[in-house]
Amino acid sequence: MATINLDQLTKSYGPDEVLHHISGDINDSEFVVIVGPSGCGKSTLLRMIAGLETVTSGEISIGGKIVNEIEPADRDIAMVFQNYALYPHMSVRENMAYGLKIRKTPKDEITRRVNEAADILEIREYLDRKPRQLSGGQRQRVAMGRAIVRDPQVFLFDEPLSNLDAKLRVQMRLEIRKLQKRLGVTSIYVTHDQVEAMTLGDRLMVLNAGYVEQFDTPIELYERPASMFVAGFIGSPAMNFLTATGGDGLVILDNGTALPTRLSTSGPVIAGIRPEHLIAEPEGVLPVRVEMLEQLGANTLVHGVLDGSDIPIVASVTGIQSLPVNDVVRFTPGPDALHLFDANTERRLS
Amino acid sequence: MFPTPIERRSVALQRLYKTALPIAMVMWLLPLIAVALTSIRSAGDITAGNYWGWPTSFNLIQNYSDIFTNTPLGSYMWNSVRVTVPTVIGALALSCMSGFALAVYKFKGDMLVFFMFVAGNFVPFQILMVPVRDLTLQMGLYNSVTGLALFHIAFQTGFCTLFMRNFIRSLPVELIEAARVEGVKEWRIFWFIILPLMRPAIAALAVLVFTFIWNDYFWATVLTQGAESQPVTAGLYSLNGQWVAAWHLVSAGSIVAALPPVAIFFLLQKHFIAGLTLGAVK
Repeated sequence: MATINLDQLTKSYGPDEVLHHISGDINDSEFVVIVGPSGCGKSTLLRMIAGLETVTSGEISIGGKIVNEIEPADRDIAMVFQNYALYPHMSVRENMAYGLKIRKTPKDEITRRVNEAADILEIREYLDRKPRQLSGGQRQRVAMGRAIVRDPQVFLFDEPLSNLDAKLRVQMRLEIRKLQKRLGVTSIYVTHDQVEAMTLGDRLMVLNAGYVEQFDTPIELYERPASMFVAGFIGSPAMNFLTATGGDGLVILDNGTALPTRLSTSGPVIAGIRPEHLIAEPEGVLPVRVEMLEQLGANTLVHGVLDGSDIPIVASVTGIQSLPVNDVVRFTPGPDALHLFDANTERRLS
Repeated sequence: MFPTPIERRSVALQRLYKTALPIAMVMWLLPLIAVALTSIRSAGDITAGNYWGWPTSFNLIQNYSDIFTNTPLGSYMWNSVRVTVPTVIGALALSCMSGFALAVYKFKGDMLVFFMFVAGNFVPFQILMVPVRDLTLQMGLYNSVTGLALFHIAFQTGFCTLFMRNFIRSLPVELIEAARVEGVKEWRIFWFIILPLMRPAIAALAVLVFTFIWNDYFWATVLTQGAESQPVTAGLYSLNGQWVAAWHLVSAGSIVAALPPVAIFFLLQKHFIAGLTLGAVK
């Protein structure tokens, strides 16, 4: 169990800086998810923490000890890779025991820990099989087993679920969460899937183009996104953004609609409204011309444009709704549903 | 469906196929058939000019025992083994290690080293004839099995390294990283994780190098002379000189000399299995 501290961490490949001054403190037993789109540098950051990539500048500490120059083997970490990286010529048991054998753990201790991990992950009956005889989900469990037998200070997960099918992914997501709570090992988990991030993480570090956009709890990210990027990335379907002009206690959308807000702003602003916070009302202030419906059963996504413009709007209404295409439906943002962002910096105006 | 089964083609085409195929096969195998046939003839048949006709007598056992009892073929064969086996082991051992280093580590000049290994393959070895002969003479290795084997190891390692490096590159790099995180030392990663996965590459190269070195004639004649060090390819011709044009014995010797590479191929072919890394990733 350990804390992890990142201090002004920078990574460059030649002249290209890919990670810019990343800082953040991860508490003991905390589950932190690093989330961001492809190429944002999240895997690179994880690999730096693992010691598989060098640090250009800044410091990484694990358990209060600076580990910049320490080999991965001596950082007391365990990593689960996206493609599992199981040793194909070894049985499941050997795969899990290998790291312990290298550390000269006594034989009966190895057996005990492998069996214990196998029980936790319910892979006891596969212990003598080779990885090629296992299904994707079972391989995933073996990869996790290899990590937990070592009883490390830190777990690092590099998109471990992205090769599984959707149903298994949801199941494994819950299991990873339960396992981490049970073992209480500080964990860092990298994913590009925001749902996975929201459900797993105690806190989320949202990365964009090598910068930390926000590092906070899932609810805080959802309710008070620090930037347009976070607002658009967290939540599905993505937040609607409308250009507007600030005023005293209200913002005026480009089509002339005035929306009330608790903030007083001026100049160009961006108004953000989540699709699920738009309420269909006959007297609604936002006239939306319906272009397409996505009926998902539990809710219906209404895709359209703000009437008289080509600004796209998505609204999520509960239940199965059949709205005539090309008709105008009026929506009103719910109370406190309006997020305002500076049009230039794209940061939240609070 | 591709290819279309021959039964579904026109009758004329089927007949053409069924006559052309055996003819082409016989023509292709004619030299081999000729050697095999000559190896069981009597010397009289050959002097009488009966090269293709029915042999007057079948001297299979006599000819094949003659070459081992009355000629130094046995020692030529043994020389070939003494050159070929160390070369295969040496070249593979060196290239596994150099290939691993070039595939896994980044260091200054790594590409330069790699290109030198590759470029070595493009040097026509005939131009090396005189300098290599002088070198072995100066080192006191001329006309020795050791000299020939050392030269072959040096020359084969280039191609083998290219092959091994590219093979290791195709293995999932996460295997190495996972091992590093687990605290496995680099030489153990090479020995216990990478080497077992290289079995198909090692088997393929072993057959290739074995065949190539066993069949080598050029360096065998350049660097050795005499039955105490010459391999069988160079030695075969000298069977002829001891008697007068003993082509039936040369043929029998040729057949015997051609067997080991074939045997090696069948011995190692079960290791040519693809998909050893199945289950490692995804």
